[in-house]
Amino acid sequence: MSNEIRQASPVPSETVSLLLRKKAWTVIAVLTVLSVILFVGGLSAGSTMLSPVETLKHLFGTGSGEHNFTIHTLRLPRMLLAMLAGAALGVAGLILQGIVRNPLGSPDVIGVTNGASFAAVFFITYMAGSVSLKWLPLAAIAGAAAVSALIYALAWRKGITPVRLVLVGIGLAACMGALTTMMIVLSDEYSTIRAYRWMTGTVYGAKMSDVLSLLPWVALLIPLSLLGAKSANTLQLGDETASGLGVRVQLHRLGMLAISVALAGAAVAYAGGIGFVGLIAPHMARKLVGRSFGYLVPVSALIGSIIVALADVVARTAFLPLDIPAGVFVSGIGAPFFIYLLYRSRHQ
Amino acid sequence: MFKSNKVTAMMAFILMLAVLIAGCGQNAPQEEATQPPQQQEETSGGNAGNGGNAGAEEEVRTIEHAMGSTPIKGTPQRVVTLYQGATDVAVALGIKPVGAVESWAEQPFFEYLRADLEGVTVVGEETQPNLEEIAKLKPDLIVASQTRNEEIYEQLSQIAPTIVHETVYKFKETAEMMGQALNMDAEADRLIAEWDARVADFKQKIEAKLGDQWPIEAAVLNFRADHARIYVTGYAGDILNELGFVRSEYQQEEADKGTVILRLTDKESIPSMNADVFFVFLSDPSNEPAVLKTYEEWKSHPLWQNLDAVKSNQVYVIDEIIWNLGGGYKSAHLLLDQLYDHFELEK
Amino acid sequence: MTHLFPRTVYKWAGLGLSLLIFMAAFAASLAFGQTPIGLGTVWEALFRHDASVQEHVIVITSRLSRAAIAAVIGASLAIAGALLQALTKNPLASPSIFGINSGAIFFIVAAAAYFSVHSLIHYMWIGFAGAAAAALMVYVLGSAGRGGMSPLKFVLAGAAISALFVSLTQGVLVTNQQGLESVLFWLAGSVAGRTVDMLLPILPFMAGGWIAALLLGHSINILTSGEEVAKGLGQKTLWVKTAMIAVIVVLAGGSVAVGGSIGFIGLVIPHIARGLVGIDYRWIIPYCALLGGSLLLLADVAARFVIMPQEMPIGVMTAVIGTPFFVYLARRRSRRS
Repeated sequence: MSNEIRQASPVPSETVSLLLRKKAWTVIAVLTVLSVILFVGGLSAGSTMLSPVETLKHLFGTGSGEHNFTIHTLRLPRMLLAMLAGAALGVAGLILQGIVRNPLGSPDVIGVTNGASFAAVFFITYMAGSVSLKWLPLAAIAGAAAVSALIYALAWRKGITPVRLVLVGIGLAACMGALTTMMIVLSDEYSTIRAYRWMTGTVYGAKMSDVLSLLPWVALLIPLSLLGAKSANTLQLGDETASGLGVRVQLHRLGMLAISVALAGAAVAYAGGIGFVGLIAPHMARKLVGRSFGYLVPVSALIGSIIVALADVVARTAFLPLDIPAGVFVSGIGAPFFIYLLYRSRHQ
Repeated sequence: MFKSNKVTAMMAFILMLAVLIAGCGQNAPQEEATQPPQQQEETSGGNAGNGGNAGAEEEVRTIEHAMGSTPIKGTPQRVVTLYQGATDVAVALGIKPVGAVESWAEQPFFEYLRADLEGVTVVGEETQPNLEEIAKLKPDLIVASQTRNEEIYEQLSQIAPTIVHETVYKFKETAEMMGQALNMDAEADRLIAEWDARVADFKQKIEAKLGDQWPIEAAVLNFRADHARIYVTGYAGDILNELGFVRSEYQQEEADKGTVILRLTDKESIPSMNADVFFVFLSDPSNEPAVLKTYEEWKSHPLWQNLDAVKSNQVYVIDEIIWNLGGGYKSAHLLLDQLYDHFELEK
Repeated sequence: MTHLFPRTVYKWAGLGLSLLIFMAAFAASLAFGQTPIGLGTVWEALFRHDASVQEHVIVITSRLSRAAIAAVIGASLAIAGALLQALTKNPLASPSIFGINSGAIFFIVAAAAYFSVHSLIHYMWIGFAGAAAAALMVYVLGSAGRGGMSPLKFVLAGAAISALFVSLTQGVLVTNQQGLESVLFWLAGSVAGRTVDMLLPILPFMAGGWIAALLLGHSINILTSGEEVAKGLGQKTLWVKTAMIAVIVVLAGGSVAVGGSIGFIGLVIPHIARGLVGIDYRWIIPYCALLGGSLLLLADVAARFVIMPQEMPIGVMTAVIGTPFFVYLARRRSRRS
């Protein structure tokens, strides 16, 4: 039996891994090109449709400068914020799925997003009158961090196992969700719609200062997560095996969890409760480049940023003159993808 | 990877650094503060239709408002209003805005204003106006509210001088603010004086009619598909208060606590609605059968029959747009008209 | 695992006790509220009704229907939860955690917003459809991939599907503010302000579900002793499973149509029932019904007092009560796994 198998695969293993590496880099390149196209295209679209050439001229400072305000103040921050948030959520989801060892883990399922939502809605409902709205992102991050710490503490029993983490997370997510709904129900009218919009996820009104606040988180944490790539790959084999191979399981898990929560918390703080990116992006990444964490990180980031940016462009152009929260369209993309996932998984 | 403590320490250090940077980014001084309007010269060519206050003296007025102070040069000709009340006041002042937000019902604009708003561009919903649409109109004054537009104040200020009122339903203050900004102080004062005169007239006539019974308790009730509401304060509540109506003891307590709306889910709480006269409006026109059904259910409940207003047949179904959604000056007058009619007073 | 009532005699006694608890909870629901009404008055209101006495009126018109609805929904959700836990072999299953509630809600909200559906009967059928769709999706998603079905996969699949439907619901409501204001209370879970004629159309279906569950008790026992064992004993497992899913969908979908999103009852009560009578589903089902009804009745009473004069949505109440229990279970359970 084994002789036949050996004869059937004459390709040496080094060639396979070389092919894989080439494929991964090709994917990254293609996605980057797509991102650039989306970037320019998105900046050209809106109430006033511009040609891509015009947009490019405005970006580089040549040209008439007639649309400077539209492009630089209105569209550019939104696009950048959407891309950053999408990238952060994509990687956050990837990390969580690794920790939980299940492709369905994501910040919205495990309760991180719900914690941020709770804090944000609390802020909007009870403090928006007295405290300036510019502190809202901080409140959201604090909420995400606090709830994550709570989940971690409750799931700790001489260590964290993926199962316990998921279960406690889901339970707390449901609780936070109910409390958040209660606040929305009992709030006054203005807070209700504002809170609900926030929860859906939106980059409306994004400013460059928001982009600059989110940037350090993304720029530092995503490369940081790559540091844990080797351990992440090893941990796929199981806790004991990895431990035997020298991985400090609990420490790694804590570190990666912290990075994931920080990424998700920051993204949600500026883009609201956008869901599904953390779920879908890593999935698609896995289909494209396999299971190696090192490649999955940039690919998830790129896919995540494309999804959110695309959703925002559609959201602000499809129903002019209305400007709809981007989260609606992320769900719109997420739902068919989910169904597709289900359809495919029937055969596995 | 994580074998050495040094790596862990470095990670922690980098994380702290990131937090610090983010914190600094948050507190960066907001350089994009209010900018003086640059569009005066550009747009003066396209304003043939806007008669009235020509002779734009280049004096700069500074308007103090809820989110700071805004200098305004000359007389703004192209106004964008971002809440219903402001649109209403603009029309009352005789101005046609170049852009306004969509109305809550009877889209795109309420019928009582529609004739005066021919050709006005819709710039999105009140809850989320479309910044690009606003910019496209090249306005020279934007009237916004803090409750709705706080987070985009900066961007609005970059498009045009923006004046902001704290909330959306205080029509007299809105009129004052807009009068100042539009260099129409006299007109605004006249409008307010007109209102005050009518209020005084109403008070006199109703006191004459009801004698000892005045002042009476009024309650503003609202029925929706799955719950009922008492509007303790808010637009209608404030106007009724100004006219001399009082609230029931219970509702006054709630008002003092700062409650604007009481949501009632159980008919057991019907007694808390009690007052001498009810002004009822039904919500959510798209959902009418359910709303009517709920109203019928609450009305047919025995506890309802025990209410003072019901017993003395003082339950009036009034118009939601005038009493709640409009929030403006003209709607206030229409509200007052309805009150004159209900109490059969001479206007 | 030992349970409290090993002998049949005890089980019957326990059932009687549960019935008493249920009746007490029902009475409490009639007595306590914004207007305090003594038990004696409640009795009079029920059996010697005098329409001129305000308290009598309150009891009959407002509280009776509310208590009936709470009892029905509580019983139904508890039974649905028990069945779901048996079906997925996962003690952490419940209609809300598995996204079944969210599916029903989304379908109903979408129907109301886009197809102008307004009658309760239609809501009920649409609720069934939504619950079924969600159940199907969770089932497929949970059994996909390597390793077939596992409790953890189901829970994650359920949470993901739940997030999906919640997200879609938000999408529908965020563009429709008036619509949002109308359904907020229902969304958060509410048994208040509903008259008996909201319950009556649904009651036959719910009752049918309860009876079906009772009849299925024996088959469930066989099923839970293992797939191969069941097949070996000649059981048509596919039929049994389908029947169970149908009952779950009817009970959960119907509950959502009337009361909105109420969670955790289906999680907590089956556990208590199992702790009392072991794993015999012929006993578990009736215990679930009585205890589930009691719990929701008591939660409803509490919800009236927490933020007087406004009421806390009952879905929030059950979440607040149920979460510590859930976390406790999660910790205990995964110690063994």
